[in-house]
Amino acid sequence: MRGPVAWWNDPWRPPRILVAVTFGYLAWSLIPVLIAVIFSFNDGRSRTVWQGFSTRWYFGDPVKSVWHDAALHTALLQTLKLGVITTLITVPLGVMFAIGIDRWRGRLPAGANLLMLVSFVLPEVLLAVALLFVVTSLPLPIKLGTEAQVLGLVTFQIAYPAVLVRARLATIGTQYEEAAMDLGASPLAALRRVTLPMLLPAIFASTVLVFADVIDDFVLVRYLSGNSSTEPVSVKIYNTARAAPTPALNALATLLLFAALLAITVGYLVYRRMTRGDNTAAGGIAAFAGEA
Amino acid sequence: MAVPNRPSPSRRQFLLRAALLAGGTPALMAFLDACAKGDQGSSSAVSMKVAAPDKPVTWDIAKDNEPIADGLGPEKAATLQLYTYADYVSPDAIKSFQDKYGTTVQVSTFNDTDEAITKIRAGSVDYDVFFPSYDQIGKLVNGSLLRPLNHSYIPNIKNVWPVFTNPFYDQQWRYTTPYTVYTTGIGWNNTVVPADIGALANPYESLWDPAYKNKTAVIDDWHTAMSMVLLKLGITDVNTSSAADLKMVGEQLTALVAATSPKVTITMYTDVPTGQIGLTQMWSGDIINAQNYLPEGATAEVLRYWFPTDGKGLVDNDLMVILRGGKNPVLSHMFINHMLETESAKQNFKQIGYQPPQVSMSPDSLVADGFVAENLKTAIVRPEYYDVGYRILELEPDNDAAWHNVWRAFKAGGS
Amino acid sequence: MAQRLACLQGWGILTPVVLTEVAAQAKPQSKRARGSALGPALAVPGIIWLLLFFLAPLYVVLAIVFGRTDPIFRTAVPVWNPLQWNPSQVNYVLSRIVGDNGIFGPALLRTAIYVLLAGLLCLLLAFPVAYYVARLSGRWKGLLLAALIAPFWISYMMRMLAWVNLLQDDGLVNRLFSLGGFFDVRTHWLTGQPVVVVLGLVYGYVAYMILPLYAGLDRLPQSTLEAARDLGASRFASFWRVTLPMCRPTIVAAVLLTCLPMLGDYFTSDMLSASPKTAMVGNLINDSVQSPGQTGQAGALVMLVLLVAVVPMFYYVRVTARGDAAS
Repeated sequence: MRGPVAWWNDPWRPPRILVAVTFGYLAWSLIPVLIAVIFSFNDGRSRTVWQGFSTRWYFGDPVKSVWHDAALHTALLQTLKLGVITTLITVPLGVMFAIGIDRWRGRLPAGANLLMLVSFVLPEVLLAVALLFVVTSLPLPIKLGTEAQVLGLVTFQIAYPAVLVRARLATIGTQYEEAAMDLGASPLAALRRVTLPMLLPAIFASTVLVFADVIDDFVLVRYLSGNSSTEPVSVKIYNTARAAPTPALNALATLLLFAALLAITVGYLVYRRMTRGDNTAAGGIAAFAGEA
Repeated sequence: MAVPNRPSPSRRQFLLRAALLAGGTPALMAFLDACAKGDQGSSSAVSMKVAAPDKPVTWDIAKDNEPIADGLGPEKAATLQLYTYADYVSPDAIKSFQDKYGTTVQVSTFNDTDEAITKIRAGSVDYDVFFPSYDQIGKLVNGSLLRPLNHSYIPNIKNVWPVFTNPFYDQQWRYTTPYTVYTTGIGWNNTVVPADIGALANPYESLWDPAYKNKTAVIDDWHTAMSMVLLKLGITDVNTSSAADLKMVGEQLTALVAATSPKVTITMYTDVPTGQIGLTQMWSGDIINAQNYLPEGATAEVLRYWFPTDGKGLVDNDLMVILRGGKNPVLSHMFINHMLETESAKQNFKQIGYQPPQVSMSPDSLVADGFVAENLKTAIVRPEYYDVGYRILELEPDNDAAWHNVWRAFKAGGS
Repeated sequence: MAQRLACLQGWGILTPVVLTEVAAQAKPQSKRARGSALGPALAVPGIIWLLLFFLAPLYVVLAIVFGRTDPIFRTAVPVWNPLQWNPSQVNYVLSRIVGDNGIFGPALLRTAIYVLLAGLLCLLLAFPVAYYVARLSGRWKGLLLAALIAPFWISYMMRMLAWVNLLQDDGLVNRLFSLGGFFDVRTHWLTGQPVVVVLGLVYGYVAYMILPLYAGLDRLPQSTLEAARDLGASRFASFWRVTLPMCRPTIVAAVLLTCLPMLGDYFTSDMLSASPKTAMVGNLINDSVQSPGQTGQAGALVMLVLLVAVVPMFYYVRVTARGDAAS
């Protein structure tokens, strides 16, 4: 590791300004979060003035800590519940959709593809309002609450696995599947035994990313929530921010952050293991994020 | 990668699609018509009774909506659902109720009563006890959203100011009990706004004073904020249906944004003690509650509140009602009774700041018992205010629409 | 009960209609590719889901926008038959955009300005960062990319709340500007400052722009860029005349991907400035949706935003489809 003077005088180094902008952006992006995490360990009730270190907001305070306040851990449970249920529905649906559209030529699949991509960029509030109208105007067996929230979230997220899997299918190409069918496999068997295993990294990546996106969702879950037991953490933070927030809120968000970090780390390690030796999946984190 | 194939439709395909479209559309229409919820406008035959102090109203009890029978036990293993403003029911009072009856209580919150009523009327929720103000009572009763009370479960009504056993908005207290009483005046933080706003000729005007730019706020409730503008203009009919009055209110609100750029919020009780908001329209309960949110090292000395000493300002009270969609009617009655008990009322007052209309809590005793600091005596609500004060009443639908339109123009940021 | 039966019967009619159309589409290609019945079979659940929960709700919005209002409670009553549609609510909204009564116009204009500004700032910030990480960061690439993806894992509300705390009158930002007591800076950041709202939008959405830019820049062929330098172009000239034109589709896609969702944002303005001065069209929708008598108008605004956004949306889809075809 050369010294900083050598780095400054190095004619092959990247432009200083780019480095400055990048690290400046990272600092601007992450410092508020660090401050929020630090204040979750604050001893007093303030969220701006440091009053000493303590874990009272996690489990110490007998009324308002995350451990003891039923409202807060209901919110945490609701977030995780929504994350798991939505992911379990979205990923298979999206993967099947992507494979199906890829293999099917015609105007209907092109239209469906268009619809899916439009749902990818639509402002969330439009979908939330539309679904709110549906649930409150039609006598469907769906009421406001977890069911309506899951429906909205799946619709909003289905584009994610679809896009990732399609990209991956484009990279793989059709040669492996055609070879399998030449050797006598039925289309279904070729799909199951050749294509799906090759898609597994993309499927896994989209699972983790959909999960991380759902536990952070705000607009849809707020419009489609029933009573407060169906309000996840993001809505709780928003409601409490306009009333009297305590560091317990910081503690809640920190816990969620660690849950998401854990999910992504585990996912990445599994992804690395699954793609050992698979040179169509080179690219490390970038491929994992679906951006390669 | 192969370009997607786009075959032009053959004649057969075209005819098939046309047939499907022709056959499908009426089917879709019929299907949706059949599927739609029953006509919600069928209650148009009922015209709404609007209650006023000089026109008291006794609500009917429909045949299919009789009160519950006497002497029932509380529901077992139930969760009582409360629907209220944030930080409006004290956690300690809830806890003592949970311990006494061995049940759980869940609190859901709303930001404004319009949103709350829309949600309740949509029918998808099962809240038990709701905390509205009496300007919603007509809609609630006419929409069959309330359960009439069985008075035998609520003996603690004797603790409450006698007027509430026969209030103008609900004679014979068939559907409601009072929850808190409050006035709406002007609150300020002495360190940010050192002037004595209460000594001005027209204290409401201080919110338009450019010297306080970016330090002010108004309450995020259409009727409360617009009524204050009317009072500032000297118009005492705060439920006016005069188009000219409403037009003036709209103009004043535009001038307000230009002069001081106020926030529009209900977070006064946390923002005034920290000085984040300097001068604001405020509920009396909020300034008392602000004592609980003072930063380290600050005392209640910095808080100030003004309300007309002759009582000629906005006075109101909030209610507790039982919703018909709730699943725990007996527990709901018991909860209301519990909140009317003097001990719980005092606990509630200490934690939420809003004064309960308890007979045993006279205005003078509140300062003596340490609930209210000496410099906040103006925030205590006296029964005499209700004889001369101005009340925020329910409006006829057309008037309601006109008021809402002015408010929406204000919140859209005007020009 | 009878209604329920009629509803179920309706489903019984509609499903064969949909499936017939699907089958009609699938038939001509069956001779072309082997076993292509598998394709449609796999895609159909997804298609049905999107039709049911994406397209159909838009029809419900239309039914409410063109519907009636209950005279007493002023809740919205949907009208399903297009022949009975009543355009009064749409007219109300449209007539209040410009002119004397133009109460919605300023908010719509403001939204357009904020989104354009925020998009531009995001691009100015995201492009250098993405360029550096994609091409020039060498061995730090993995770590930097992980740090760039990090905002996706952190609750958006929490990040905004953290900023609210920093921007309070006695918060860290004012303390920093005061330079430890040299000046007394007590700027009121949180009372209706458009600058704060625009920066809040940038803060929230810039991460969504960096990743697609990174992906596109990563794919640029290094050989072409080196060729430009070899032929004598300066660093700036080779960037301006070779790199930038090559990544234009990526930039367009990234800008659209970030700016279109921003159109519906209301909580940034809510949290960072609870003032009508910075109200965006998302705030208009959010305030009206559950307000008695204004639900239909909220729906009209929703349709308006959809129409305004649909052209860029289709453009985005074409750009990505062409990008897919080219890869």
